[in-house]
Amino acid sequence: MGLVSWLIAIPFLTMLVILAVPARNWRIIRWIAAAGCGSHLILTSAVTYLYCRAMTGDSVNMQTSLLTKLYLVEKVPWFESLGIQYFVGIDGISMAMVILTSIVIFAGVLASWYVDTRTKEFFALLLILVTGVFGVFVSFDLFLFLMFYELAVLPMYLLIGVWGTGPKEYSAMKLTLMLLIGSAFVLVGFLALYHASGLRTFDLQQLAQVHFTTDFQKWVFPMIFVGFGVIGALYPLHTWSPDGHSSAPTAVSMLHAGVLMKLGGYGALRIAVYLLPEGAIAWGLFFMVLATINIIYGAFVAVMQKDLKYFTAYSSVSHCGFVLFGVATLNMMGLKGAVIQMFSHGIMTALFFALIGMVYSRTHTRMIDQMGGLAKKMPWLATTFYIAGLASLGLPGLSGFVAETHVFLGGFFGNMWANTGVMKALAIIATMSIVVTAVYVLRALARVFYGPITNHDFEKLTDATLPERISTGLLAAVLFAVGLSPFLFVNMIESSLLPILNRLYQSGAAALTH
Amino acid sequence: MLPEIIVITCAVVVLLLDMFFDEKKRIMLGPVALIGLTAAFAALTCFTPKNGTILGGRFAMDAVAWWFKLLFIISGLVTVLLSIDLLDGRVGVRVRGIGSRGEYYSVLLFTISGMMYIASSRDLITLYVSLELATIPLFVLAAWRRDDAQSGEAGLKYVLIGAMASAFILYGLGIIYGLTGTTDLNLLKQALKPSLALWLATAMIVAGVGFKLTVVPFHMWAADVYQGAPTPVTAYLSVASKCAGLAFIFQVLFRILGAFVADGAMIAAIFAAATMTLGNVVAIVQQNIKRFMAFSAVSQAGYLIMGFLGNWDLAVPAMLYYMLIYVTTNLAVFACIIWYTNETGKEQISDYRGLSKTNPLIALSMMLALFSLAGIPPLSGFVGKFFLFSIASKAGFHWLVGVAAVNSTISLYYYLRIVRQMYIETADENAGRLPVSGVLASTIATLNLAVVFLGIIPVFYESIYAQTGSWHW
Repeated sequence: MGLVSWLIAIPFLTMLVILAVPARNWRIIRWIAAAGCGSHLILTSAVTYLYCRAMTGDSVNMQTSLLTKLYLVEKVPWFESLGIQYFVGIDGISMAMVILTSIVIFAGVLASWYVDTRTKEFFALLLILVTGVFGVFVSFDLFLFLMFYELAVLPMYLLIGVWGTGPKEYSAMKLTLMLLIGSAFVLVGFLALYHASGLRTFDLQQLAQVHFTTDFQKWVFPMIFVGFGVIGALYPLHTWSPDGHSSAPTAVSMLHAGVLMKLGGYGALRIAVYLLPEGAIAWGLFFMVLATINIIYGAFVAVMQKDLKYFTAYSSVSHCGFVLFGVATLNMMGLKGAVIQMFSHGIMTALFFALIGMVYSRTHTRMIDQMGGLAKKMPWLATTFYIAGLASLGLPGLSGFVAETHVFLGGFFGNMWANTGVMKALAIIATMSIVVTAVYVLRALARVFYGPITNHDFEKLTDATLPERISTGLLAAVLFAVGLSPFLFVNMIESSLLPILNRLYQSGAAALTH
Repeated sequence: MLPEIIVITCAVVVLLLDMFFDEKKRIMLGPVALIGLTAAFAALTCFTPKNGTILGGRFAMDAVAWWFKLLFIISGLVTVLLSIDLLDGRVGVRVRGIGSRGEYYSVLLFTISGMMYIASSRDLITLYVSLELATIPLFVLAAWRRDDAQSGEAGLKYVLIGAMASAFILYGLGIIYGLTGTTDLNLLKQALKPSLALWLATAMIVAGVGFKLTVVPFHMWAADVYQGAPTPVTAYLSVASKCAGLAFIFQVLFRILGAFVADGAMIAAIFAAATMTLGNVVAIVQQNIKRFMAFSAVSQAGYLIMGFLGNWDLAVPAMLYYMLIYVTTNLAVFACIIWYTNETGKEQISDYRGLSKTNPLIALSMMLALFSLAGIPPLSGFVGKFFLFSIASKAGFHWLVGVAAVNSTISLYYYLRIVRQMYIETADENAGRLPVSGVLASTIATLNLAVVFLGIIPVFYESIYAQTGSWHW
């Protein structure tokens, strides 16, 4: 078993260990979970190092390549007669996503340190979920991809249904069903690709060498893009997200908004745009308009929210719009921005939800107007909350700035197929959302943390405990790291984005000459 | 023919032993039936040639027949295992009118033997007779609880509708005989020409088998019969009867009408879409778990017939594999239902609330099996469905794949209803851990392992594919 398989296996094995421990030892269980995720973080660092060493110099070779280069590949035939194989590997985009997931799950486990009802089942389900997520990010076989994808979605139902708050059963059901209907679209698209290729294979790299007819691409691309769009909160299919996020327990909101929603952007980029460039060219502008609506609509709705979790959930809808916007620009700047935004938003929103969970466990309210002056009692939480908030409104020095700049520039640069004027106009509209974001973030933060302490019960509140500090501190540090040295990150992903672009230019040039 | 002979001999032995034993010794009858079926299993897997014909070609063995027989024996074995506790009275809540163990097991064994003959018949007459041998004992089994009005109603409905279905099939077979003048399937295949009468005959047969497979609009009987019959019988009906229907329609569609199957693709697609949609939508509102499983079974039949859209080289392995998965998964769900009904006598979905607190392992097994029915990876149901969807996609029915995939999601909604009762709702105050008998516990455990591993380990699909992919019709 190679290193990449271990990335999937560690959470799964940790889950098995947890299942073997009697439920009454819940304190030990959380240590096991933390140890498992901690060792995963170490393994991820090792894989990142190996990846970065192996890829140095490759970006020159990738200038004209049409196929993404994979590292640490493992390929084992599985259902051989149908061409299904266990095919995992790492490229720049998946590397970024694996790092993100590994950080968020570790922080998530620490943020759930005080879950004391049915702890064993909680951590077991959380680890199944994350196994699925890692699986999606490293698999390059469509069947395997779909399998992990659904595996990642389903534990949500129980995680929200059992440990959630508020209208949890409704939210859990809505979330699960909407996401799986999305995957139904994806399934139709995948099977169509499989049969249209005539190769009897689900191997992504082999499918990428097939030229699908333009008509075929034009109907399969929206199928797959919309299917992934559901989980990426594409307007108007985002409605599961605010309900789901606000009902979910802390760690689940973190993972869900931080990582699971990125499966949408990742799938759209990795599969829809990569395999179906002509479809992407035909539909790019349409999805760009939808993404712009996402950005603006999410931001304006967030202004109106009184509940901290709904507030963050709508701001996530807005920020996930940036990811889809970046993908839809179909140029280097935009695609880079999309990937950085996936990473940056993942960390940022995980931090948000972790902090909301911690504040809620102290104040027992999530209503913004019932809080006030909390910074005096919990300076650590207030500071990290501010860091997250500033990252979210795109302050230079934090990762949000890097990501959003790329995305907007991508919109301005335009591409050679869509109307550049329209794209510029959309980019300007989307940029306005930053102002709205500043309004809602700053207003909410000022309300919650500054001013006099309105409620006398809050006098006794305490600041973050050690596990909570590690969790939030880690996430905040990553926001700074990406914000201050984005080039490290950009180098990592750039060479993997080149093939996607080359394919777009190739088919785009062909389309123009017709 | 060795496995069939063993099963029939065992049925007769059980009946005779029942006569000579007193009530106390009759506890031995279940194990005797088990031994008989195990012997048949061993005979099938070790001592039966995979190819060959006897009786002048009227009885033939090939890979497809072999896998069907395996399915029948497995469902029979599991059904006996599931019935033992109920019939021997090792239950928490006694049910009146359950008794006559000897007759129960021997009738059960007879229907298994009938099904096994269906898969091997190569003649219209034997085909029909074996279908009747498989069906008539089922009527008896459905009405087993003599004192229970619902069971009686189930039996009566089943007899009436089953007889009608048989009549349809017989009429269809009669027309085919009239067109060709032969009853030998191999000769029939060459003699048949497309004609109006042939379409009529096919429609008759498809309608008749549609009853067995619970294809909409021939599914009406299922809910009442499933609800009224004793639960182990329901379990058996839901898997074996469907398998038998599939074996029969394989004979007709692939062996006789193989050349014309592609012409009916659109019809098959519409049947599939209607069946899965109606089954799913109606299942949402069910409160009784057995009725619920009836509609779930209807929708599963809808997925199954998507297989008829493809060529046999992919369709036959996919459908057989799906059937293997469906048999294990559905029996796993029913094993949990039977256990719960045995212990509490309750059958409503809401009765399952809090089961994850009182009996976490059973709740987990039931959840896994339900998720597998819904087609959630990495459980086997996902793989089974995926292969069938792939066939529809290959035939160009992308809309059907969409309908089927959305239907899977709808089905998840109602399977989650049960999961919600077990995991999210809290248990009653005084609910304690319910006892599990060793037989049921090991059956449930084995079935669940199969549910998980059939989806991960490719060897079963690959061997079905290797053996039946080159099937000649």
